[in-house]
Amino acid sequence: MTSSGAFRERLIEAWTEIRENLGRATLQALGVLLGVASVLGGFSISDSQRQRAEQMYVKMGGLDKLNVQPRATVQEGQPTALQQADLGLRDEDAEDGAVLRPQAIQGVSSQKNARTRVVSPYADQDRSISGIGGDYIPANGYEVETGRGFSSQEMEAGSPVAILGTEAAAAFFPKGDALGQPLRIGDVPVTVIGTFRERVFRFRKDQHNQFGWRNRIIAVPASLVQRRMNGDAYRRVDRITFRIPDLNVMAAFSKQLQNVLRANHRMQDDFRMDDVAARIRRQNSQGDVYDIVFLLSGVLALVGGGIVNVNIQMASLKERVREVGVKMALGASGREIFKGFMTEALLLTALGSLAGLVLGVGFSWIITHSLGIPLAMTPASFIWAYALAAAFGFLFALYPAWKASRLSPMEALRYE
Amino acid sequence: MSTIIRTQGITKIYGANGAAVHALRGIDFAVEKGEFVALIGPSGSGKSTLMAILGCLDSPSAGSYELDGHPVHGLSGGELARIRNGKIGFVFQSYNLLPKASILRNVELPMLYAGLGRRDRRDRALALLEKVGIADKADKLPAALSGGQKQRVAVARALANEPALLLADEPTGALDSRTGAEVLDLFRELHGQGHTLLLVTHDPSIAAQAERRVEIRDGLIASAEGAA
Repeated sequence: MTSSGAFRERLIEAWTEIRENLGRATLQALGVLLGVASVLGGFSISDSQRQRAEQMYVKMGGLDKLNVQPRATVQEGQPTALQQADLGLRDEDAEDGAVLRPQAIQGVSSQKNARTRVVSPYADQDRSISGIGGDYIPANGYEVETGRGFSSQEMEAGSPVAILGTEAAAAFFPKGDALGQPLRIGDVPVTVIGTFRERVFRFRKDQHNQFGWRNRIIAVPASLVQRRMNGDAYRRVDRITFRIPDLNVMAAFSKQLQNVLRANHRMQDDFRMDDVAARIRRQNSQGDVYDIVFLLSGVLALVGGGIVNVNIQMASLKERVREVGVKMALGASGREIFKGFMTEALLLTALGSLAGLVLGVGFSWIITHSLGIPLAMTPASFIWAYALAAAFGFLFALYPAWKASRLSPMEALRYE
Repeated sequence: MSTIIRTQGITKIYGANGAAVHALRGIDFAVEKGEFVALIGPSGSGKSTLMAILGCLDSPSAGSYELDGHPVHGLSGGELARIRNGKIGFVFQSYNLLPKASILRNVELPMLYAGLGRRDRRDRALALLEKVGIADKADKLPAALSGGQKQRVAVARALANEPALLLADEPTGALDSRTGAEVLDLFRELHGQGHTLLLVTHDPSIAAQAERRVEIRDGLIASAEGAA
């Protein structure tokens, strides 16, 4: 049996056998179906969650960030002279860090916050002020919608200019004419030169806007805060962010940076570094646990289904001994009988898997829909689910097929 | 005339030492090409065992067997399957048609195992059904046919690969005497066309239809009569 379309014939025969024993075949396929559906469904739900999270990180301005923030070193008692002499995180640290890996670093930004009264002709409120430097705007996912951003000269000089988030613009200029208007921040009169695009992100539909607070931003050059709002001659900052797209460089860079900063800070660890991508990876690894749980439950369903299949197949083999005997008398070799049984089992697995994939898609859709997140399915989930089913289907088909192929033709023919 | 079957000293022993059953005790037997031989004997005589060995469904414990000039004793299961496929056509008492396959497919099956192409299989199967007179039933399932018709299908299937030997085991056992006679007529017709037939039966009146009778008793050839 080689070039005579033997495979096609076996397929036809397998299909006939399945169709003739629909009840039995359905039972056999059920285990496969549930296993595939549970693997696919589980994977898709965690993929959907993960994809949603990634969309959020992208909207946050990317993950390739290393944040450096000040940390208190004096835990109790009086500060030592050394601690008192330490100046904390400064612009200088950002400059020293940037020259370490000029090729790998895509941007450096700094932030210096203040809290003060903000007064416009329409409102008078106590507000947080973000003094921003470097590429803070793109690095944090902001976009200037109207007007313009800060020029480097304004950044350098600490010019009295401001860019407002949508909430802030609406609060201080309810008529929507913020651009070009004066605003008093503490004692400093500034001019509004731009507004940011509104930031919206809901993890689930109908949830509150998780980026709502970002619309409250009142951004001014960091140097303006340093010089005219805090009276800080040392140009201290509250946060420095390095953007490094190459994650391999990131680890080495953060070690180098730590050494430089410790030297700058008189050997004191008065800062903490936060590799955003690494933090997210740690969070994502919790998702991996769910993946393993889903995978395991799918595998258990497949194993359970497989064992049931072996039983059903062995029982049905008893009915088919004579048929095997006849085929052998007509010239079918043991190998041919084996192939026939395998074809039938694998066809059943394939059909069960297909139904399982459909069920799995439906299942994932219902779950993600009720969670209010968009459904995300990756080809890998389909491949995993299908490959697992195929592997187990193959494995559990082997024994009955082998048993059938080992029948003695004469005894099989006489079997009643 | 060439020899289709030649056995020498064939024995078959079932079971081990103490409880051993000697089903065949040394059979020397030959069938020439074109002969119509009846193998006759009561149940328990060993004729079914001999038929299984001659049909390559079983192997002898000792002795030699040449089928169509080729020694077949001691061959592997796969090789025996190939010989059954190419050289032997079986007709059984209970027809042994595959119940879920169409008549056409039943007849095609041995050709499928032989590796014949789809068109060739179909053409030849239809020609064979024509020959046994039931071409109009090709698309039916076996359950739709009468006993006599089923046995005709079985004969067509047995002829599929132009076997050297047609082996019929009580082919009329399940038929009434009239259809049984029709099937025997078909055998005689095949004999007339030059086929070699070996008919296994316990019924002397059916054996009488053959041109030569060989009687088995207690695992030995008891008598042979008719033209050799």
